[in-house]
Amino acid sequence: MRSDLTRFPFVKSLLKNRWLQLLVFFVMLAGFFFAILSGFAGTPVGNNNFGIVFVWIAWWAILILIAVPFFGRGWCAVCPIPLPGEWLQRGAILEPPARKPHWLDLRWPNKMRNIWLQNLTFTLVALFSSVILTTPKVTALVLAAMFFMAVGMSIVFERRTFCRYLCPVGGFIGLYAQVAPLELRVKDKRVCAACKDKPCYNGSQVGYGCPWDAFPGGLTRNTYCGLCMECLRTCPYDNIAINTRPFAADLAKPSTRMDEAFKAFIMLGAAMIYAGVLLGPWGALKLAAYSVGTVAWLGYAAAFLALIFGILPACFTLAVKIAQRFSRSSAPQHLFAKFATALVPLGLMFWIAFSLSFVLTNATYILTALSDPFGWGWNLFGTAGVAWQPYFTTLLVPVQALALVGGLLWSARTAQKVGAEVKASPIPVIVFCTLTTLVMLGLLL
Amino acid sequence: MLVGLAGAVIAFAPLPVRVASPTQRTFRVEASQFAYNPAVLTVDPGDTVTIELVSTDVVHGLYVDGYGVSVTADPGQTARLTFTADISGSFRFRCNVTCGALHPFMIGKLQVGSNTMLWRAIGLTVLAALAAIILFPLPANVKTA
Amino acid sequence: MKRSEILGRLLVIIGVVLVLSVPLAVHFYNGQNIVEIHGRVAESGGWSPSSIQAQVGVPLHLRLTSDDVMHSFAIGQSDMPPVDVAPGKMTELTLTFDKPGTYTYYCTRWCGPNHWRMRGVIEVTGDGSDAPQPVTPPLYMTLHLDIDAAHPAAVTPAEKPSTLRGAASAALLSAGYLTPDYYLSHSPAQSYLDLRADAAFSSLNDPEVWDLVAYIWQSNTTSERLVEGQRLYAQNCAACHGESGEGNGVFAAGVKAQTGKLPANFADPASMLGASPALLQGKILRGGMGTGMPYWGPIFNDETIWGIIGYLYTFQFDEGQR
Repeated sequence: MRSDLTRFPFVKSLLKNRWLQLLVFFVMLAGFFFAILSGFAGTPVGNNNFGIVFVWIAWWAILILIAVPFFGRGWCAVCPIPLPGEWLQRGAILEPPARKPHWLDLRWPNKMRNIWLQNLTFTLVALFSSVILTTPKVTALVLAAMFFMAVGMSIVFERRTFCRYLCPVGGFIGLYAQVAPLELRVKDKRVCAACKDKPCYNGSQVGYGCPWDAFPGGLTRNTYCGLCMECLRTCPYDNIAINTRPFAADLAKPSTRMDEAFKAFIMLGAAMIYAGVLLGPWGALKLAAYSVGTVAWLGYAAAFLALIFGILPACFTLAVKIAQRFSRSSAPQHLFAKFATALVPLGLMFWIAFSLSFVLTNATYILTALSDPFGWGWNLFGTAGVAWQPYFTTLLVPVQALALVGGLLWSARTAQKVGAEVKASPIPVIVFCTLTTLVMLGLLL
Repeated sequence: MLVGLAGAVIAFAPLPVRVASPTQRTFRVEASQFAYNPAVLTVDPGDTVTIELVSTDVVHGLYVDGYGVSVTADPGQTARLTFTADISGSFRFRCNVTCGALHPFMIGKLQVGSNTMLWRAIGLTVLAALAAIILFPLPANVKTA
Repeated sequence: MKRSEILGRLLVIIGVVLVLSVPLAVHFYNGQNIVEIHGRVAESGGWSPSSIQAQVGVPLHLRLTSDDVMHSFAIGQSDMPPVDVAPGKMTELTLTFDKPGTYTYYCTRWCGPNHWRMRGVIEVTGDGSDAPQPVTPPLYMTLHLDIDAAHPAAVTPAEKPSTLRGAASAALLSAGYLTPDYYLSHSPAQSYLDLRADAAFSSLNDPEVWDLVAYIWQSNTTSERLVEGQRLYAQNCAACHGESGEGNGVFAAGVKAQTGKLPANFADPASMLGASPALLQGKILRGGMGTGMPYWGPIFNDETIWGIIGYLYTFQFDEGQR
């Protein structure tokens, strides 16, 4: 069921081509700096500011509706944030230079080799999201902060430590990348076993060692491979394949990691809270979410944290304990993390359903911001005067319903596969998924 | 097969409609940064709905999703929007005059008749869960791919 | 270093520098000879800049945008129609002044309780009579009216007076009652007392005398001016004074919280009928003294203010066409 795209020479040469990649990088980098500029120098009115519109509407839509479900970490492959830092670290933009520069090259501490930090950074962004999403200067600040962090970390640590361990977006992209019908794997593990230098990990004259600190020969999931194509260039045995495959193939081997499990809860809870606060009719909640520093906001933040770190995991634990009661299985911790795999397709569909509403309602701003990015009265493409109106409102509700029901079916199936492996009933987890789906339906429809 | 049929029934079968004779309804809706009060309006299908929009701080608008009708009110000048609620379902109404930071999230809900979409979706959800649990469980020692 | 590497670095560096500098350069270039005005609610600073210099006869190019909510731009005491200043959008406007002086620009779409404070000035210098124009003091000063004192009506009617009914007895009125001077300097209650004391009207009962007062008041305006007055009232006054004139507009509670007093209730006969047009003009021109009432002197000319005042009295008199 897997089909290697690199068996087509044209595809392989496209993917290995550094100039093509640089061109894409250049466009992304230009857009990124342009977004920061418009955030700082352009109109403070969010709907008419390129920074807000192109990050939180255009980029977000492409990310959650197309890039992640279909290309896994495809966004990471073209993301501009780590690039200047990486170029500094490598001492080159294209092929490795004759003399590698010596930065600090520290190894990321073992205790932090997990995604807990990413869970934290995402949660922070989520708590302040009402302000970030609506204030151009704040979005610009967040983007600039991520950029400077990435540069700083590239100089201090080896490889792409910002991307792998800190980026708030990378946490969930990695988790949901397991769903994608695209993967990078080795063709034959025995070739890797016989390979002495492992240039895929250590680098060579033609390319750099994996910036994601992954050993390509050991990749079994999409979660930590950023599709940067370095290993495709360095492998002397042409042993790297880019395969198309069935959706969610990675979920067949459920992860036992708690950091990933909690990431799933954070995403599930955040989708529900955003649906209620941003798309619901409750003005008091919106004001509470927006007025950072007030007592109301502290209450909102407390409720948010309670939901994602307390209530949801607690209910899930109950479900898992019930399943455990009626099974003959392994240690509870692993049951919890393994069953949490079912939350991956569920959470993704929650986010797709939520994002569809938000994006279709505000898509016209993409047209106006394209022509008048700063709100300075420009009209570059003639679309500055397009009136606001929501798109496809009649289609939206059925599509959201189908997405959520589909997500439930998918997560139920995933839970069943986990249940079969751990010899425990998936029913309590399916009930949990059903209840959360019902809540999401009630909030969105 | 059966499940598919059940799903189709839930999704498409016409539900019994509570026939209420259409009336005239008027709602006084106050708009402020960033909420409507009342934020949820309930009418029967066929009703002639008048919304009197009263802005209490800045210029606000009210645009009804699905109907595409809208009105704008300046503080001190109540604006009226009248339309016939001939499409059933749940519709969000939102502000369509930029009124500050949270403007894109200034939302209320118009309920015309019952929210059949939601009921159908709930039905499909429960059906899906039951199908997964009862009809298509995986045997306990199946080797997964 | 390989050529491709140099090329790559050049592309990136030049590209990024261009992306950052070109928009700023274009904006700077477009901004030559144009004054860019940002509108913000008064709490965030109002108009920015709030003071502009111009020359007689030299076109003043303006670009207007709002940084928060919907505003609009108008020049006081001019008949230029207001121009909407929308958030995130740019509106261009060119003004040319024939006479030197101080012109006030202001917002005409309510943008909060302090909306009326959103004002700026354009100082226009140049030839044309630079000599200071003689200023006539407003009528309330000539009449030595204390516009801050309470003005209770000595008498109030039992029911709302009607101008239509008053027209029936209008023939009895001598010219003295129908002059502008009489109208401007008398409150309706005073006029009632004058008429009641005048033997010519002894055959009329009290309500009929009140109807005559209503008629006198209406004769000092026209239906066009009433329509205009209503429009201006809705746009400028109703937010505080209420669409029904009862002092219960959307900002009334806020005014009370800040100043301890509600906005004036034009529908209350006890106070409104005790106010002469001159007194009302004084309040409108000068505004507040801590009551939250804006001063409209720089915004409306006398003609317009009398027109608004004529409309205000229609909250007291039933003229059959309100």
